[in-house]
Amino acid sequence: MPFKVIPEGDERKIEEVNKCAIDGAPIAYIVVLAAIVTALSFIPFSIILGSGGAMPLSQAVFPLMGWLLGPIAGATASGIGTLVASFLSPLTVGNPVLSLVGPTVGSFLAGTMVVGKKRRGWWLGLSIILLIPFFLYSHRAIGQNGIPTNIFIAGTLIEWSGFLLFILPTRILFTRWITSSNLQLVALGLFGGTWMISGLSHLCAATLSYSIIGWPLAIWNMLIPVIPFENLIRSTVGMVIGVGVIAGLRAIGLVKSREAIY
Amino acid sequence: MEIIAQLDKVSYLYPSSSDLVLKNISLEIRKGEFLGIIGPTGAGKTTLCLTLNGIVPQFYGGRFFGYATVAGLDTLSYPVSTFARYVGAVFEDPENQLLATSVENEIAFTLENLKVPREEIIARIPRVLAAVRLEGMEKKQPSELSGGQKQRLAIAAALAVQPALLILDEPTSQLDPVGSKEVFATIKELNRSLGITIVMVSHAAEEMAENADRIAILREGMIEKIGTPAEIYSQVEYLEQNALRPPQVAQTFALIARERISTGKIPVTLKEGLALLEPLKSYYRPSSLESTSYSSPTSPLISVKNLSHTYLSGTKALENVSLDIHSGEYLLIIGQNGAGKSTLVKHFLNLLSSTKGQVFIEGRPIENLSVSDLSRSIGYVAQNPDNQIFNITVEKEVSFALTNLGYPVKVVEERTSESLAAMGLLESRHLHPLSLSKGDRARVVIAAILAMEPKIIVFDEPTTGQDYQGAKAILEVTRQLHQMGKTIIVITHHLYLMPEYAQRVIIMGQGTILLDAPIRSAYHEIDLLSKTYLTPPQAVLISEDLAKLSGHRSDLLTPNEIASCFNYAIF
Repeated sequence: MPFKVIPEGDERKIEEVNKCAIDGAPIAYIVVLAAIVTALSFIPFSIILGSGGAMPLSQAVFPLMGWLLGPIAGATASGIGTLVASFLSPLTVGNPVLSLVGPTVGSFLAGTMVVGKKRRGWWLGLSIILLIPFFLYSHRAIGQNGIPTNIFIAGTLIEWSGFLLFILPTRILFTRWITSSNLQLVALGLFGGTWMISGLSHLCAATLSYSIIGWPLAIWNMLIPVIPFENLIRSTVGMVIGVGVIAGLRAIGLVKSREAIY
Repeated sequence: MEIIAQLDKVSYLYPSSSDLVLKNISLEIRKGEFLGIIGPTGAGKTTLCLTLNGIVPQFYGGRFFGYATVAGLDTLSYPVSTFARYVGAVFEDPENQLLATSVENEIAFTLENLKVPREEIIARIPRVLAAVRLEGMEKKQPSELSGGQKQRLAIAAALAVQPALLILDEPTSQLDPVGSKEVFATIKELNRSLGITIVMVSHAAEEMAENADRIAILREGMIEKIGTPAEIYSQVEYLEQNALRPPQVAQTFALIARERISTGKIPVTLKEGLALLEPLKSYYRPSSLESTSYSSPTSPLISVKNLSHTYLSGTKALENVSLDIHSGEYLLIIGQNGAGKSTLVKHFLNLLSSTKGQVFIEGRPIENLSVSDLSRSIGYVAQNPDNQIFNITVEKEVSFALTNLGYPVKVVEERTSESLAAMGLLESRHLHPLSLSKGDRARVVIAAILAMEPKIIVFDEPTTGQDYQGAKAILEVTRQLHQMGKTIIVITHHLYLMPEYAQRVIIMGQGTILLDAPIRSAYHEIDLLSKTYLTPPQAVLISEDLAKLSGHRSDLLTPNEIASCFNYAIF
């Protein structure tokens, strides 16, 4: 790169960049974003399910944590934020252990959405792993509890739609949109990505919840419209917050985490 | 003299920038000295500070050329945590630096991270609190402290590490004059008594001239000049050409010298300046200047009747305040922190309900006005423009209120374009507001308010955190709005900036109006100003001294006015 003034000193190798970091994300960023997760946990947006508590608004930003920080740091931020919230805002958290599953899985999966060569093959292994909760959930519901297959399929719309979006090229498409300089495409990527990732994290959390608590057929029927509606809210809120955050971060030129995709 | 830090041909490029931010900087910082760094916005001052503790380039990455050593250690060969033992850093906003729940915990935090033994931490806390004069406040929450106290706590936390070098980047720009004085006095004392080397970036020219041993001028990433305050600040013409503000005393004497009157030298401190006035008094021909007071025959735009406000905590913030503000006035409200300025203005905006008394806007009680009515009458520009910005483009920010108040699309477009044009933001309309400079972000907020076409605009500390050029640019906007017929109300501590703009001054203290007068007489109420912990500009103090020497009272406000009273041709 040509400079207006030629540097007279020797160019130095910088070796200590971001040493106070987890997976390339400065600790300070993780702390700040964990605090945001905690703050959003105070705001309930639905009283259904939520591992025994009301559903907090923070659920909308778990995927965003992964896109901003990468899989490991993103999961750390979401996990810490939710854990702190389980003490400060138990109303919206419910079971503290179960409540950690969705955030950490969601942020981790979102963080694996990449367009470059690095970690490009992670999706394949994760897809195979995700089949396990799918099998356990369906076996428990259909095989053991006698939930009709059509009700199970309707009641797990966000789970299987999320899985399909994850294994198909749509995952790459959402990633490209989030990296786009066009904010409208960023919004679309955030909406689709949040739907997909929230569906998958819901799969993991619901498999655990259902195996512990279980719910009868009448509840399955009630949840058929409710769960997609909730995921729609997650996706919309994730999109609105995400566009603002990504546009702001790009504008101020803050140093990016190494695994960030925005 | 021993060298504590050395930069040898240092150049630096941020990962996101297209050109070098520091360019071939070679600098030796001597042990025990107070080095001031001045320069316009974007000169690389903060980057230079961050180079001295290794954060540049270790946190930011980018490309780094040359060598920087602190306490004999190369800043690229050791982690930032090593430099934390040698270099303390204090930045502009104390709020951003304090994170503990008590004063003593705040000081202990860094020490705990450096694994200092518990007994040693306990021993150091009272020592550093005494050094910054915060004894007895160990258990207080940092949020309970005043702005000056918070900044002194940040300094104490940095001092606790016993650094050889203390870096302060604009530590007083957010503080009122008392807080600023406290911080400068503390720093100078630490420098003198403990021999701590100080590197301070500051636009406070008067204080830098009094306290620094050397001043370096940084411009476009290069050190352009370095010398004693007398050598640097006496070059008034050069400083002005480079958008830097010299101390008013230097400016005054430089202007007098331009009248072909020999001043001997250009003084840079008030004490030196006052001492040089005596031989010049024979050239002094004071002219009486008229006050630019404003009176309007029309009924007041804002009328405050016997307003009192007591907060839930029991604090009496306002007591029986009565005031009329007429259309087209440019009003300045001054007073120390806690004088009641913001509480008064919040009543104009109906953000607070009075305990007693009433506020009328155009004759209507404020409580009868809807939010939309009020937004059409009065606009408010907060101290930090970022607190008022939440849209992703400048255009959306400016049109936000209009759209939400249901104006037709055509009207929204027209008014938005007009406001953007008035603030010179048309070319930035599609940019994210946060990608603009702080001064331009303030303009975005002003444009958004302007689009509502309010009759009154309130500016709360608009020049805080701005450099001289940025502050003047914002005040020029207020002038422009005033010329458009708007009523302007400004709250500020920067008295030296206001004589060219304000007509009338309200001095507040302890919740009451101490004085309501034209600016010319208000600024010369030295005793009253000092009662509310405000310091008049140096030009006012020089004018007072000239009045004593000549026996002619002439309430001058600016270096230009003083210089115009000196005339060589008469003799």
